[in-house]
Amino acid sequence: MTEPTGHILQMSGITKIFPGVVALDNANLAVREGHIHGLVGENGAGKSTIIKVLAGVYGRDAGEVVIDGAAMAAMTPAHVHAAGIRFIHQELHLVPHFTVAESVFMGQELQGWFGIKSRAMAEAAETFLKETLNAEIRGTTLIRDLGVAQRKLVQIARALIDNKARIVVFDEPTAPLASREIDQLFEAIARLKARGISMVYVSHYLGEITSICDQVTVFRNGRDVGVIEAIGPQDTGRMINMMVGRDISDLYPAKAHAPAAALLRVEALGDHKHFDNIDLEIRRGEIVGVAGLIGSGREELVDTIYGLRQPAAGRMLIDGKPVRLASPAAAVKQGIVLVPRDRRQDGLVLGMTVADNVNLASLEDVSRAYLINRPAAAKRADALAAKLDIRPRNVDTVARLLSGGNQQKVVLARWLATGSRLFILDEPTVGVDIGAKVEIYRLIERLAGDGAAVIVSSSDPNELIGLCDRIVVMLRGSIVANVDTATTSLDALIALTTGGELHEGAVA
Amino acid sequence: MTSLAQSPLAGVGRLVRAVAPSTPLIVFLAMFAYLGMASSNFLEPSTMALVLKQSVPTVVVCLGLATVVMAGGDDVVVGGIDLSVPATAVLAAAIIADLVSNHAMFIGYALLIGVAAGVVCGLVNAFLVVFFGMTPLLATFASSTAFIGISKVVTASRRINVGDPLIVWLRDGSIFGVPAGVICACLIAAVFYFVLHRTRWGLNLQAVGGSRDAAEMSGLSAARFIAQSFVIAGLVGGVASAFVLARGSGWTPGTEENLMMEMVLATFLGAAFSPRRIVTLWGAVLGAVLVSALSVGFGSVGIDIFWTGCIKGSLILIVVASAALSRKVNA
Repeated sequence: MTEPTGHILQMSGITKIFPGVVALDNANLAVREGHIHGLVGENGAGKSTIIKVLAGVYGRDAGEVVIDGAAMAAMTPAHVHAAGIRFIHQELHLVPHFTVAESVFMGQELQGWFGIKSRAMAEAAETFLKETLNAEIRGTTLIRDLGVAQRKLVQIARALIDNKARIVVFDEPTAPLASREIDQLFEAIARLKARGISMVYVSHYLGEITSICDQVTVFRNGRDVGVIEAIGPQDTGRMINMMVGRDISDLYPAKAHAPAAALLRVEALGDHKHFDNIDLEIRRGEIVGVAGLIGSGREELVDTIYGLRQPAAGRMLIDGKPVRLASPAAAVKQGIVLVPRDRRQDGLVLGMTVADNVNLASLEDVSRAYLINRPAAAKRADALAAKLDIRPRNVDTVARLLSGGNQQKVVLARWLATGSRLFILDEPTVGVDIGAKVEIYRLIERLAGDGAAVIVSSSDPNELIGLCDRIVVMLRGSIVANVDTATTSLDALIALTTGGELHEGAVA
Repeated sequence: MTSLAQSPLAGVGRLVRAVAPSTPLIVFLAMFAYLGMASSNFLEPSTMALVLKQSVPTVVVCLGLATVVMAGGDDVVVGGIDLSVPATAVLAAAIIADLVSNHAMFIGYALLIGVAAGVVCGLVNAFLVVFFGMTPLLATFASSTAFIGISKVVTASRRINVGDPLIVWLRDGSIFGVPAGVICACLIAAVFYFVLHRTRWGLNLQAVGGSRDAAEMSGLSAARFIAQSFVIAGLVGGVASAFVLARGSGWTPGTEENLMMEMVLATFLGAAFSPRRIVTLWGAVLGAVLVSALSVGFGSVGIDIFWTGCIKGSLILIVVASAALSRKVNA
C-alpha cells in the first residue's frame, strides 16, 4: 500500500460485485492533499463504479475508505457531503429558468423575515464566481441564457458555495465544451488548487490529463494497474499501454471483403453545433469505422446520415446523386439503415415475435392487397433467421425473450429483408457477451462480403481496428484523422481519439 | 457549392420560436378588442367588477393547480398536474351545504370540515402519485371522478340552497366598495405568492419542478415536495368550496365542469404572461381573471352559451399547442 502521509483520500481494497459481474476487484485509489489526481481507463474499467462507491451511491462489498485519516464506516451521500467531498457530474443538472443565484444557492438559500434575500444571494453568487472561479457572471441571469462553459462554472460554484469542500471530483467535465471554453475551466481548476482543494479528475481526454494532473491512477478490468507520478505529455504512451493491456485478436474475422465503387459521399457536412466540415466516402463492400469520444460529434454525425437530424451545411450524395434525407423513412427508401445503440428502445418491438419484427419494414413484399400472406411472411423470416443463426430458431418467439446478441441479429435481419445497401451500426456490441460479439462481427463481415457498405460507429478501439478497413477519427466536431487499419496501432488510434500526443519511442 | 444552410425552414423555425409563446396572448387581446367593440358596456367599470367577482372561484383553484405544476414540472403528460382541484372544491361544497342547510350546523365548523375534506382529497392524490407512481394526469382524473361521485352521494345529486349570512356576505358584501370575495381571493393569492416565490421552501419546490435531478443532487427530496404540492392543492380545493357556494348561492350539480375547464385554460395561459415562460402564481391569477372576462363578455354580446364552450375549447387547444410548439422548437 502507498505510504499514508499527505493523503487526504485513501480507498484501498475496494471490491464491488454486481450480479454476475465483478465491477471492482480489490481496487485502490489514493489522493494527495492539494493535488489533482487523474483517473483514466477504458469504458467498463471501473472508473465510474469507484466514483459511485466514493459518492455513497453504491455500497462496497469489501475495502476501506479513509478520508483525512478517519475511516468512513457507513457511507451515504449525506455522510460523504459532510466529509467535504463534492462531485461535478458530467450532466449539468441545472434548472433552465432559474437565475444563477438561485442555482448556486439551491437547497441552501438565504432567507430572512421577508422571505428569500434575492439581492444578497445574487451579490454573493457573483462575488463567489469572480473570486473563486474567475468568472464574470451576473447573479440575476437565467441559466438558459448562459453558454455551456458558464453553466459548468455555475455547477462548480453550487458545489463549493458553502466553503466546506475539501475534495472535488470532476467527472468528464470538458465533454460538452469547446476548446477555448476548456481553458476557462482549467483556469478555474487552477484557482481551486491554489486554495488547497484536492481534486480527482476523471477523463477520457488524455491530453487534458497530462496537462493538468499531478498524478494519475490507471484502471483496467476493475482494478488499478498503476500510478504514474509527476505526469507529463511524455507519459501518454505508458498510460495507453496500461489502459489496454494485451490485445485480443482472435475475436475478429479475416477481412475477406473487397471494396468496390463509392456508394455514399458526404461533403462539408455540418450542423454548426456538434460537428462541422465533415468529408467522408464509403464504398460498396467496405467497412468504415467512426471513432470518437462522447461529445466528439460521432453520434450526431451518424444520426444525420440516417436523417434523424438535419444538417445545417454541406450535402450528401448516393451513387453520385445529391440526396436530402428529411427523415429516417427517406433514408430507408434510399437503402440506408441504422441499427441503433439502444436496441431495446429504438430497434425492436419487444412484445412482437421474431417473425413480425423481421418483416416489419417490408410487409408489402409479403402482402397481397393489404392483407399479409402469413405463410410467406413466416417462411421469409425463417430463412433469414437460419442465415443469421438466430437462436432459438423458432420465429414465433417473442423478441423480449432473446439475448442481446440475438436481438441485434433480428434487427439486422429486418434490414436484410428490405434489401438495404448501407448499414450504419451504432455501438453494435454494447451490452452483449463475448460469444455474441464474435457472431455480430462475422455478420458485419458478411454484410460487406455481400457488397453492402457498412459504417461502424463505436467507442471500442479494439473493435474498430479488428473489424474495419478504414477509421475516421472525430474530435470535438471535426475529423482529425482518416487512417488505414492495416497500418494503425491500437495505441495510435487511442492517442488520436483522446487528443493525446504519442511520442515516438515512448511506447514499449 | 450548394448548401443546405439557411434553408427557408430555418427562417420559419426562428419565427415560430419568437412568436409561439406569445400566441395565446395575441389571441386573447384580439378577442378583447372584439368584445370591447361589439358590446357597448364590456369595458365599463361595472362589468369589470362583475368579472372580478365571477373570477374568484377560478382564481383560487388556479392557485392549487399552479402549485402542483410548479412542483411537478410543466410537461402536461408526465409533469405535475392536478385536474381534481375543482372536484375537491365541489365535494367540500357539497359537504358544507349539506351540514349547514340539512343539519343546521354552525358555518364555522362546517367550513372547517369542508377544508379538512379537501386536505384528505389532496392526501389521496399525493398517495396515488408519489407512493403508487401513477401519472398525475391519470391519477387526478380518476380521483376527480371519484370525488364528484361522493359529492352526488352526499347531496343525492340535488341542488342545496345555502342562505347562511357568511356565504351571502362572500357573494354580495363589500369592504370600501371592493367585493368581499375579491378581497379574500387577493389575500389568499398574496399568501401563496409569498410562500411559493419568496421562501426557501417555495424556491425548492420550484427547483424540483424545474429539474428533479438538480434538486435531488442539491439534497432536496423530490417526492416530499411533490406530495406536499398535492396536499396544498387539496387544501386550496377545500378553501375554494366557500367561494363556489357563494357564487352559486348553494350547491348545484355539475359546477365542476366549467371550473375545471377555466382552471386549466387560465393556469397554462398564465405561462404566456411570465417573463420566464413558465407557470407562475401571478400568471395563473391573471389568466383566471381574463378567462372569466371572456365568459362575461360572451354573455354580454349575446353569444350562445353552447358556442362559448366551443370557443373556450379552442382556446385551450391554442394555449397547449403553443406551449408544445415552443418546447419543440427550443429542443
